[in-house]
Amino acid sequence: MTELSNVADSDLRGIRDLDIDDVLAYVHRDLKRLPDYTELYKRYLRQRWDVYELDFSQDIVDWREGMSQEERDAFVGISAGFHHGERQVEVELPVFMLGGSEESKIYMSSQIEDEARHTVFFDRFYREVVGMPGDSVQEVLDASFEHVSETFVGPFGLLAYQADELRKDPEDPAARVRYGTTYFLWIEGVLALSVMKITLTYCRERGFLPGYYTGFTATCRDEARHVQFGMRFLRDSVQEDPRLLLQIHETLRTILAINGATSRRLALESLGWTPEEVRRLMIRQLHMKLVDVGIALPPDIQDMVARIEPELAGG
Amino acid sequence: MRFFTPEWAEAARAAVNAGPSQDGKLPSYWNWIDRARTGYTATWALGVRESGTYLVLTWKDGTCADAAITSDPSLADFVLAAGEATWRDLREGGDPGRAVMYRGLRLERGDVLAFFRVIYFFVESLAALTRLPTED
Ligand SMILES: [Fe+2]
Ligand SMILES: [Fe+2]
Repeated sequence: MTELSNVADSDLRGIRDLDIDDVLAYVHRDLKRLPDYTELYKRYLRQRWDVYELDFSQDIVDWREGMSQEERDAFVGISAGFHHGERQVEVELPVFMLGGSEESKIYMSSQIEDEARHTVFFDRFYREVVGMPGDSVQEVLDASFEHVSETFVGPFGLLAYQADELRKDPEDPAARVRYGTTYFLWIEGVLALSVMKITLTYCRERGFLPGYYTGFTATCRDEARHVQFGMRFLRDSVQEDPRLLLQIHETLRTILAINGATSRRLALESLGWTPEEVRRLMIRQLHMKLVDVGIALPPDIQDMVARIEPELAGG
Repeated sequence: MRFFTPEWAEAARAAVNAGPSQDGKLPSYWNWIDRARTGYTATWALGVRESGTYLVLTWKDGTCADAAITSDPSLADFVLAAGEATWRDLREGGDPGRAVMYRGLRLERGDVLAFFRVIYFFVESLAALTRLPTED
């Protein structure tokens, strides 16, 4: 387990040498135990990193000289859903902080800061490495928008509208659980971790983009806290009121119903992945969370899970 | 044709029934929309926030059977509204999905999960009706 304590304690320099599989193992190691919100907040204070410390100079060389046009297109296409996804999860999170215990609110302040930092990470990557034009964060987002799939609005528009719903009553337990299912279980626990595995494995195997690798691996370690918070929240909510399990189910039914629409072909093969492998990766990510947290699914949702389609975005 | 008039509403009804042109996106996307639309029965009210005027589209079994302009959307299943700036952006070719993501268009009333079960059908219908040539 030395690798996992390395994951927990590395600074940015050390993160560069971590393997994404160890970081994913670190996400799941604590899911059975589920640390409390104060423990997660303390961990945040130790693990916080400075996004302006990342050095993209080798990435610029790799991007221009090492990678093929096909690889660049695939990479931009897959990362655009994350660039916009980070922004979306950042701006939709403050409303969730308005409810819950004081410990939850304190922890939430750290996740809001994480998501803002992740947005800056992608802003820097698109600006400095990909060379997207724009003076402001919004202008760079607008420049990368054409690469975002039409189906992005499914899960991320849903989150925006659920945040609006929550704003009407931030303490409504059912609305919080529905929102938490979309945000922590699906967007973070399934979509984000899958894209991290795909793009980081590519960087590591090809030896490309060390700045991106470092920042995105650090982002993945932050994701461990986010997913553990989220699963703790869902588990505690259902333990307190078992009827809330139905809210998780209803939300999953909607998410899985909209998952089947694919509007663009994803050039996964140029990053070394087949659609079938991505499907299996997503299903595994979902199962690991559900099993560890003890969320049982009725047969109709199990059928929908078995038919999950590759979907590349995250936050 | 003027925006948010009975004449425009009728053109909007025809446009959503015809659907948008299907180029540029994978067939699986349009197949999903066809399935979402099959048998769809619900009423959407799409409003301009400043004027409080709504276009009410009534879907019956996958066909838009009626379109009307009203200031009272209370009978609609889903009431959405956007500011004039968002409507202008959409009519100038702005992306309807983006209007949802950035909450330029908001769901004021109605079940969020039920609304999202047909989200791409909704987004493409919005695209079809905002592409109609109109003046203010
Ligand atoms: Fe996150
Ligand atoms: Fe994030």
